[in-house]
Amino acid sequence: MAFTSDLDQITRAAAGDAAAVRALVNRYSPGVLSLAARMLGDTAEAEDVTQETFIRAWKALPTWEPRAKFSTWLHRVALNLCYDRLRKRRELLPDELPDRADTALGPQDRLDQTQRVKAVEAAIARLPERQSAALILCALQGHSQSEAAQIMDVSVEALESLLARARRTLRAELLEGRNAS
Amino acid sequence: MTYSMTDDRLIELIEIWGAEPASWPEAERAAGQVLLRAHPERFAGALAEARALGLMLGALPEPDMPRALTEAIVAAAPRPKAARGNIQKWFGLKTPWAPASGFAAAALGLFMGLTVAPVASADDDMTVEVQELVVSALGFDTANYAVEDVE
Repeated sequence: MAFTSDLDQITRAAAGDAAAVRALVNRYSPGVLSLAARMLGDTAEAEDVTQETFIRAWKALPTWEPRAKFSTWLHRVALNLCYDRLRKRRELLPDELPDRADTALGPQDRLDQTQRVKAVEAAIARLPERQSAALILCALQGHSQSEAAQIMDVSVEALESLLARARRTLRAELLEGRNAS
Repeated sequence: MTYSMTDDRLIELIEIWGAEPASWPEAERAAGQVLLRAHPERFAGALAEARALGLMLGALPEPDMPRALTEAIVAAAPRPKAARGNIQKWFGLKTPWAPASGFAAAALGLFMGLTVAPVASADDDMTVEVQELVVSALGFDTANYAVEDVE
């Protein structure tokens, strides 16, 4: 249903229908921004990625072919832009990668909510980028397995493997310290 | 197709996809739920860990979409195509001034040809010195030019 409604709105948006444009932006921009913010851990950069993603979408609209859902396509573009930025960051600041020891959790019960959120965000940021992408898409954004696999351009089996490793790392960092305390 | 679910696979599903059966792969969901209902004690530890992790992930705040960003994205969207005027339709061109500028250039060329050409072609009255000066100014050797002229 959403697919059909997307097609209609894409056609109208390509013709310059302002209402259709706004509907697409309102429906999909929060998800794209959220993905970028979680991947990059930087609000300003996430906003740049969101804007760039939609600018690419607007350019693609006139020749749009519905081989994938519009939201899948948007998220894939956003994710690739995030990968590019993370790669550039590594090239520019190879010695400034986050130090695992800095943000490791102490006894969980002593952490307040803000600290806990920061610890989880830091743990996600330390994951290899494809693992964090899998986790964000599936566990945080609720994409289906096939949708997340399409966005990441991997098989469902590969997605499952990435997700398994991501959650194992998070469990070890965030829960085992708590259990030990 | 029915899946035979094992304890190991169900623990894997819980660890990978979380404690909620709704998030497990559809093909394995029913078999997983049957096994879970039959032996809940075997999976209690995995479920507790998955729920704790799920709570932590679920507590992460969603970033707010700034209004200015929404407006910037909307402003960059395709614009409706303006209707073409009659002149554009006749010429089938996006630039109606193109034929007019062509006509203007042709008229100017004709005018310049008629007014300037007689002056420029009045070389019959040139003295030898002036001719040599013109030849050397054009980069030719005046001596050779003279020889060629004689031959």
